[in-house]
Amino acid sequence: MIHQFETVIIGSGGAGLYAALEASKNSNTAVLSKLYPIRSHTGAAQGGISAALGNVEEDKPEWHAFDTVKGGDYLVDQKAASILAEEAIQAVYDLENRGLPFNRTPEGRIDQRRFGGHTRNFGEGPVRRACYAADRTGHMILQTLYQQCIKNEVSFFDEFQVVDLILEGTKCSGVVVVELATGKLHIFSAKAVLFATGGFGRMFKITSNAYANSGDGPAVCARRGIPLEDMEFFQFHPTGIKGLGILISEAVRGEGGILRNRDGERFMEEYSPTLLDLAPRDIVARSMLTEVRNGMGIRGDRQIDDYLHLDATHLGKDTLMKKLPDISEFCKTYLGIDPADDPIPVLPTAHYAMGGIPTDEHGRVILDNKGTIVDGLYAAGECACVSVHGANRLGTNSLLDLVVFGRRAGKHIAQYAKGADGVKVDESAADEARQWIEQITDGSEGPHGGHITDEMQTTMMEKVGIYRNEKEMQEAVDEIQDLRNRYRDVRVQDTSSTFNTDLLEIIELGNLLDLSLLTAASALDRKESRGAHSREDYPERDDDNFLKHSLAYLEEDTVRLDYKDVDTSIWEPKPRTY
Amino acid sequence: MSNIDLTLQIWRQKNSDALGKLETYTLDKISTDMSFLEMLDVLNEKLTMEGIEPVAFDHDCREGICGMCGAVINGVAHGPEKETTLCQLHMRHFKTGDVLVIEPFRSRAFPIKKDLVVDRSAFDKIIQAGGYVSVNTGGTPDGNAIPISSHIAELAMDAAACIGCGACVASCPNGAAMLFTSAKISQLCLLPQGHAERKKRALSMVETMDKEGFGNCTNLRECEAVCPKSISIRNIARLNREFVRAAFSEG
Ligand SMILES: Cc1cc2nc3c(=O)[nH]c(=O)nc-3n(C[C@H](O)[C@H](O)[C@H](O)COP(=O)(O)OP(=O)(O)OC[C@H]3O[C@@H](n4cnc5c(N)ncnc54)[C@H](O)[C@@H]3O)c2cc1C
Ligand code: FES
Repeated sequence: MIHQFETVIIGSGGAGLYAALEASKNSNTAVLSKLYPIRSHTGAAQGGISAALGNVEEDKPEWHAFDTVKGGDYLVDQKAASILAEEAIQAVYDLENRGLPFNRTPEGRIDQRRFGGHTRNFGEGPVRRACYAADRTGHMILQTLYQQCIKNEVSFFDEFQVVDLILEGTKCSGVVVVELATGKLHIFSAKAVLFATGGFGRMFKITSNAYANSGDGPAVCARRGIPLEDMEFFQFHPTGIKGLGILISEAVRGEGGILRNRDGERFMEEYSPTLLDLAPRDIVARSMLTEVRNGMGIRGDRQIDDYLHLDATHLGKDTLMKKLPDISEFCKTYLGIDPADDPIPVLPTAHYAMGGIPTDEHGRVILDNKGTIVDGLYAAGECACVSVHGANRLGTNSLLDLVVFGRRAGKHIAQYAKGADGVKVDESAADEARQWIEQITDGSEGPHGGHITDEMQTTMMEKVGIYRNEKEMQEAVDEIQDLRNRYRDVRVQDTSSTFNTDLLEIIELGNLLDLSLLTAASALDRKESRGAHSREDYPERDDDNFLKHSLAYLEEDTVRLDYKDVDTSIWEPKPRTY
Repeated sequence: MSNIDLTLQIWRQKNSDALGKLETYTLDKISTDMSFLEMLDVLNEKLTMEGIEPVAFDHDCREGICGMCGAVINGVAHGPEKETTLCQLHMRHFKTGDVLVIEPFRSRAFPIKKDLVVDRSAFDKIIQAGGYVSVNTGGTPDGNAIPISSHIAELAMDAAACIGCGACVASCPNGAAMLFTSAKISQLCLLPQGHAERKKRALSMVETMDKEGFGNCTNLRECEAVCPKSISIRNIARLNREFVRAAFSEG
């Protein structure tokens, strides 16, 4: 079945909904989402959204932009970072006007709190920049945007999973989609398609990401010849609950929480004398792992799963209940402890993809290092790479990225869809996807997808994790290739056509395997340490050879790497100390 | 850590038109460290091996945030643990020999799609009827925006904590959606941004609630008891006030 729209948005997290809100003002818009919109992962974001409002102390967008560039270890495109910081202020007021209940100062203004890597006057000390709605900021943003989209009568197709992209040369004309309820294939033809499918932390064993974060958008694009940018940069968040990976927001440290080793020492004093526990995430995560390796973890056995303590006991029950209610709940539910009485056992957890589908400042997808644009194809949010996060994202900058660049992409689409010629697609556009699905469901015997998922996640966690080296990454590439071979024979056990979640999970596994391969290959090729990419065999940053974005092309069974310049037009790269 | 053996009686229904019934399965050596959904994963793996269709159930974040999961366990929505979603329920609350009856969130307004999966889109219809701010009430941003006292902001925020899981509807003997609707109305009517449209909002959201097949509230308070986000029924009182005020002034 073919559906005709002017604009199709894939994903209904913060980025997709904001884009839909803008695009629908001027074009006939559909939003496809494999989850119900308000169930999207944006709802999990706890800590806040940054903007230099200066409500509680002096702050400037320029400082915010600089922090973003430095936090990203100078791999950030600097004009894009300035846009992010400048448009942040209007974005927060827009959300407020639409009814988002932010926390307030005693005078009734929007309250702001500290977050890692956000500083005053180019690094002098921490600044209060994160606006928040208790620890439910993402949930509130999602609700607010969804209410607005419903008001604008955007058409929602919930539980529709995109499996392929229709491209003719460098022009996009739609997507191929499976409907979960019936198992039927649909074609959505559109002049403009925007991917906002979120992250892909499910590549890793221990992650803060939900099951749906399987990187479908980037994987579908990669299989259609679009490169993925900076895939080697994946953020590990310092404070996941030990063993589970569930996130304890940085807001706990923002409110004064302290990391301690087995001797009760505040070890961040040694690694980051100025910012201490609020240093950027890559630095804190590495420091933690170094402590564990030195036998200073709580057990002290130097094992990879040893852990540290996040101490919030001195904050008092009152502050915890008022400012971090969900986190107190988490600790009680998952650990049976009250953070007001006991320290929280934590360990870094795979959290955020800095890399993704390359775009310009309007969300238009770029095909190569010459800046060739794919007409009608857009991306925004975590699945995209503008790049404002470079080699390491600062906390609260992701929600900001969603609203600023989701909005910009939506506005551009509204213009584009009006002017562009109509597109024509016929049923044959779904042929490849149909063959693939028929094969997976042909009822023959095949290996179990679950084991492949397990092996992939373990390999990625152990060999392409926080610390990396040539030997292990090469092993990872080989192992992932091997898993991709085995994957070809995987079959679904459940062959029913209604609500066949088994089938969709196998499709998602295929996506994760492709992204794992691109990640490992990109990481292997970058022979330096920068931001979240930290190599034991090349411990220094190497601006002469590697101050450049990687572009990884998936070509059948191999990965071809190319590189693209970084925009350093405002601040000259400097060593990064905190 | 210990292991327990369980008997499960689970509602199986092929699709919204088919007739459903409870099927019995046994499951041995379930670690008490597992979450309830992990226990269902184990069951599904076992069923798949035996050539039986796995049990369909909704989930995503598995950390109590997204509102996807939900089932009625031995008559209680989201199970016996207070203030948690089903995904946050742990098997340590059960013991060997327990029989668990697992049913979908039932209500006239939530048709069953398959097994434990229900269609909660009626909630969207309620939001659509007015659960948003459409008039731009903010002035030019001057660093102050709209001043709101922190007490009011907190009340609005508590109401906005609703994740739309539908446990309130499933637990209500009348199948009312009052807690859900009142949470949405409270959030907006408490904030100055939401004042302009408050009358129209209250009337049309309540009207839609009735139209979608939700029942009436008779103050049984079952909803508050199962709500994973502890939304207070004081919000219902606020909704009633809003509604009465709107109804009278609209004439
Ligand atoms: C626990 C946690 C806490 C966080 N806290 C913060 C914070 O405090 N501040 C901050 O700035 N950032 C935070 N982040 C990061 C931030 O929340 C995410 O990066 C961001 O929400 C991603 O939004 P998105 O719109 O790109 O995607 P998502 O919100 O993940 O939405 C993706 C959408 O795409 C849809 N989709 C995916 N695949 C398909 C497909 N094949 N077909 C159809 N639809 C599809 C999904 O249904 C979903 O609607 C946090 C992340 C986590 C995991
Ligand atoms: S799975 Fe998200 S709330 Fe339970």
